[in-house]
Amino acid sequence: MKKELKIVLPFYKIAYASSFVVILSLIRGVIFTNEIGLSIEPPFAILTATFCADTYVQEITSKRSEVHRLYPIKRRISSIMQRIMIQEIFLLLLSVLGYGLFFTFQKPITHPVTESELLQFISYFLAITVTIFFWGILANTLSMLFRNMWMGIGSCLLIWVATNSTGGDKLFGAWNLFSYTFRNIENTADITWLYGKALCICIGFVLLIALPKIVRKRG
Amino acid sequence: MSIHIEDLTVRFKNGVTAIDHADLDIPNGIFGLLGENGAGKTTFMRVLTTVLKPVSGTVTLDGILYSEGNYEKIQKKIGYLPQEIELYPNLTVQECLEYMGALAGVEKKECRKRIDYYLEKTSLIEHRKKKMKQLSGGMKRRVGLVQALLNEPEFLIVDEPTTGLDPEERIRIRNLLVDFSENRTVLFSTHVVEDLAATCNQLAIMHKGRFLYAGSMKNLAEEAQGKIWICKVSDEEKARKIEGKYRITSKQYVEGGLQLRVLSDTQPELDCMSIPGTLEDAYIYFTNKCNK
Repeated sequence: MKKELKIVLPFYKIAYASSFVVILSLIRGVIFTNEIGLSIEPPFAILTATFCADTYVQEITSKRSEVHRLYPIKRRISSIMQRIMIQEIFLLLLSVLGYGLFFTFQKPITHPVTESELLQFISYFLAITVTIFFWGILANTLSMLFRNMWMGIGSCLLIWVATNSTGGDKLFGAWNLFSYTFRNIENTADITWLYGKALCICIGFVLLIALPKIVRKRG
Repeated sequence: MSIHIEDLTVRFKNGVTAIDHADLDIPNGIFGLLGENGAGKTTFMRVLTTVLKPVSGTVTLDGILYSEGNYEKIQKKIGYLPQEIELYPNLTVQECLEYMGALAGVEKKECRKRIDYYLEKTSLIEHRKKKMKQLSGGMKRRVGLVQALLNEPEFLIVDEPTTGLDPEERIRIRNLLVDFSENRTVLFSTHVVEDLAATCNQLAIMHKGRFLYAGSMKNLAEEAQGKIWICKVSDEEKARKIEGKYRITSKQYVEGGLQLRVLSDTQPELDCMSIPGTLEDAYIYFTNKCNK
């Protein structure tokens, strides 16, 4: 695990991801605390996709994949899973830090409809966990399919643009990948955004199940 | 361990035929694979490591046919050093090898023992705590070779293992490969004839996707006997005239003029004498014959 950590978390990745969160919390203006979550989620999806796109593809570009092909498939899958997990835990911690930084830099006030700041944070934590899980796996899978990190990031960006838009909101409604961002923040009783997150989890698991096949064919 | 290749053809999507109906038998011991750049050596090795699938032909490894169902069985028996490989830059030599050994399924304690042994053999023991990105090209190459040996493969495939190594290191690596080849098969691909002359008894010459020669070193060297001539000319002008007429394998300034090594089936119309041919002469003779 320590070696996987060193492989997927080089200094430059830690640096750009941390800078991203700091800059985001400085420049994205919020007035109320219930706006923090929706200010973080979509940009964080992009950060996750960029961050995780090279999870396995780095083996292809460095030609190590030719040696990896000789290794038992179970160990290869386990290694990829560990890498995704390490990166996603790091990003999750960063997203929590980002939430705190919004409070520090923007000093938002509690919206009159907000019942509890803690409950609001728990909702955010749930949503961002699913977002990171989904976009990390998606970026790695697409990069592996194309055998190219940039194609993986580009495809994710297209999906991001399609779903993180008014059109996407109208088309998918509560089943949108960004259902948390598009929810009515003034209606705290509305939890239909969980459908979209459930869909993200389902797609994520399907991609994970397909991973061994993709590794065999494209790895 | 023996490998049998029959009527092997590899064609890429762009229509280029990299291997063209090739047949070859690779016996136990070190087997050399010689050929110019672009001859198809790397493609051939990628087929043997199951990375590439041929469009036609069969390959068997100790009687096991290369087919989707047998790949896992075959892959366990293979160790591979690709021509270009960049090992984990942020890991130390020790960490990198432990990581790759674990992925290959080598038990932790046994893996450490083997790492110690091979690092000693490749003179890398004092560099084990250095990060991969801090190593020189030759050192990286040696670490690459060690990772290929970690699972003690029955069939080792090494693509240009001596590239970037100084003469002393090259000798050490060659000796390591010779030691390792006992009761195993090592496919040693290179375009450095000298490396093969020092390690192999058997070799194959590849040219434009085909095997021009497969057999013993001795027989190959004999092919060039009576075809190598040494001539001496007084100036560059005369040397250039000879170059236009014959295949010159070396040119050297000596006292009183230039000494040329000429490859010719018959005695050139010059003042020259026949000398014994080397392996390099034989290789050039073969490829030259094919180019005509």
